[in-house]
Amino acid sequence: MSTRAGRVALAIVPVGFIGYLFVYPVARILMMSVGEGFGDVLTSASTRSVVWFTLWQAAVSTLLTFVVAMPLTAVLSHFSFPGRSLIRAMVTVPFVLPTVVVGSAFVALGLSNSIWGILAAHVFFNVAVVVRTVGGVWSRLDRGVVEAARSLGASPLTAFVRTTLPILGPSIAAALSIVFLFTFTSFGVVLILGGLTYRTIEVQIYQEATTFLDLGAAGALAILQLVGVVGILWAYGRYQRTRSVGLELAAEARVLRPARSDTERAILWSVVFGTLGLLAAPLVVLVGRSFRGGLAGWEFLVDPGRLAITPGEAITNSLFFAVVGALIATVVGMAAASLISRGSTVVASSFDTVLMLPLGTSAVTIGFGFLVALDEPVDLRGSVLLVPLAHALVAVPFVVRATLPTLRAIRADLREAAAVLGASPRQVFRHVDLAIVARAAMVGAGFAAAVSLGEFGATSFIVRPNSVTIPTLIFRLLGRPGAVTFTGAMALSVILMLLTTALILSIDRLRAGELGEF
Amino acid sequence: MLSVRRVTKRFGAAVAVDDASLEVADETVAILGPSGCGKSTLLRVVAGLERPDRGTVHWDGDDITETPVHLRDFGLMFQSFALFPHRTVGQNVAFGLEMQGVDSEECRRRVDEALDWVGMEGFTDRRIDGLSGGEKQRVALARTLAPGPRLVMLDEPLGSLDRLIRDRLMSDIGQLLDETATPAIYVTHDHDEARSIADRIALMRSGRIVQVGTWEQLCTRPADEWVERFLGI
Repeated sequence: MSTRAGRVALAIVPVGFIGYLFVYPVARILMMSVGEGFGDVLTSASTRSVVWFTLWQAAVSTLLTFVVAMPLTAVLSHFSFPGRSLIRAMVTVPFVLPTVVVGSAFVALGLSNSIWGILAAHVFFNVAVVVRTVGGVWSRLDRGVVEAARSLGASPLTAFVRTTLPILGPSIAAALSIVFLFTFTSFGVVLILGGLTYRTIEVQIYQEATTFLDLGAAGALAILQLVGVVGILWAYGRYQRTRSVGLELAAEARVLRPARSDTERAILWSVVFGTLGLLAAPLVVLVGRSFRGGLAGWEFLVDPGRLAITPGEAITNSLFFAVVGALIATVVGMAAASLISRGSTVVASSFDTVLMLPLGTSAVTIGFGFLVALDEPVDLRGSVLLVPLAHALVAVPFVVRATLPTLRAIRADLREAAAVLGASPRQVFRHVDLAIVARAAMVGAGFAAAVSLGEFGATSFIVRPNSVTIPTLIFRLLGRPGAVTFTGAMALSVILMLLTTALILSIDRLRAGELGEF
Repeated sequence: MLSVRRVTKRFGAAVAVDDASLEVADETVAILGPSGCGKSTLLRVVAGLERPDRGTVHWDGDDITETPVHLRDFGLMFQSFALFPHRTVGQNVAFGLEMQGVDSEECRRRVDEALDWVGMEGFTDRRIDGLSGGEKQRVALARTLAPGPRLVMLDEPLGSLDRLIRDRLMSDIGQLLDETATPAIYVTHDHDEARSIADRIALMRSGRIVQVGTWEQLCTRPADEWVERFLGI
């Protein structure tokens, strides 16, 4: 695909996909809302209070996430101990759990209708972001840097503040902005736990559009939020460009050491078990709650009585959408990733940002856009592909993140080495390019399937009676009266949790030693 | 016998190789010169990875200038090693044999043999990313030698290694090239390496081959003042 025609063909897929399913709908939203009192919506008192709440809860969530995550990050970045990689994997589980499952878990904890529930759920979700982003650098940071500072007369604290912290700066900023972005656009958690009291912009868009049927106001809020997201991404990108330094990272094995003294062991294990306990508690309570009243909740899933959509149908729908959505996302994501890996740096990095937008923009905007725009020129709104297309759009950035580092790692000399050893051009493609990318592609597809299984924001807009998914059904059940229905919602959440966890753990096995940014 | 005849290779305005001729019989020839003098490009032309703008490459009298790289049956060890990250040590060494269609039993035997040559027996199932620089170098060497190429080319094979490992590997490589009796081209910028490994040395400067001869010949009759200074005589 080194020819120009090849590259154009490669570009058509992702550009067309993002263009028609994201850029065009956003443009339609913009056009629709500008006409209808754009300014009035943005300056109203209720919008002001929603924006204020969105900002401060995101800031506090981000701060709390750091407070909870940093001790574990520090411990994982200093000590080698049995089970270390298992614990790293376990910390990641909450991050990939569907928002609806996490919402249900905190409802089970009795934290519905409370700001504490929202904040705690956000911390629960995002601890992994800090542990992986900051820990990824810290655990591979050559200790020689700190030792050099010490030998030049710095105390341990000074050495930390003057060397370690500045070096970690860019990764801390990255983690901060990712967590802020996620909590800024938080939807499922706030919708479930916030009741009528607490609403983020994201939730407000949903309610304007579905409850009050004021599409103009919903559109204006979606645009406002988009501007906020772009602002955050811009500030982040700018910071990374000015502050990031080329780091020579060491192998973890050379940096980590066993805990030596009793004090060190006490710190190590209390931090590890303390954090894991905090993260496990909601899930344990969720599972326990699904068994309240014996097996009534589980029996409800099999025989839901007069429920219009049975849980069985929802599970079938979700699995079908996950497979189709993952397929679409993998094809589009791989095309985008190979384009980025080969393109000039300017084109590549701007395309990279455009791709990240759907991830950051908010799933609700995507669903809203589908609803508003996909009636013409091609009417997709009645299509069975509508939900998987939305899921694929949300998942594409994950596929790109999962495959891009690998694609970049296929250096020209590997192809040359294969050729010198007697491989024909076709064999080179098969044994080098395809062989290297295959595993990464499967990891990307697995992530896409996990995203699809848990997707709630976009789906809740475009779901139809015949396409109800597990998360949307859980949400409906939570909103119905009756103890058995509630326990059934908990049981269905447990099923979704198990499905997602199984998927993520099998990806993690594939990833062992693989390159990847998540 | 390899014969490079009046090869020129340009990249844009820059002339990387300028009218270079060289013959390699059953011997080891070192191409010695400062970095950026065109040594690696000349090697890539011989391997078939670059097409010369002018001149030809011959093997035993046949013109192979147009022969695609994978049909030349030459071995090239890359300066960067270029080991396949998705394959184990054994699978890396087996790659050339697989391309020849060698059956799996024979293949396994020859992989073991090649790893044995470089002192890496028992590493067959190890992953590439866990290897040290010296270990990677040995695997790359085994991968180059395993298919039994008719010519071996080594591009700064010791470039990135520290002194101690270099000295040991240098004598190992010399011994291996003798044992397998394969003609070889050894590209380096280091006099000591060239002197201890090669039968003859081709001195290269700014794309041109300035002088070819044994170390003694070069020292006793340097072609010009630059050779004298470069060799530090």
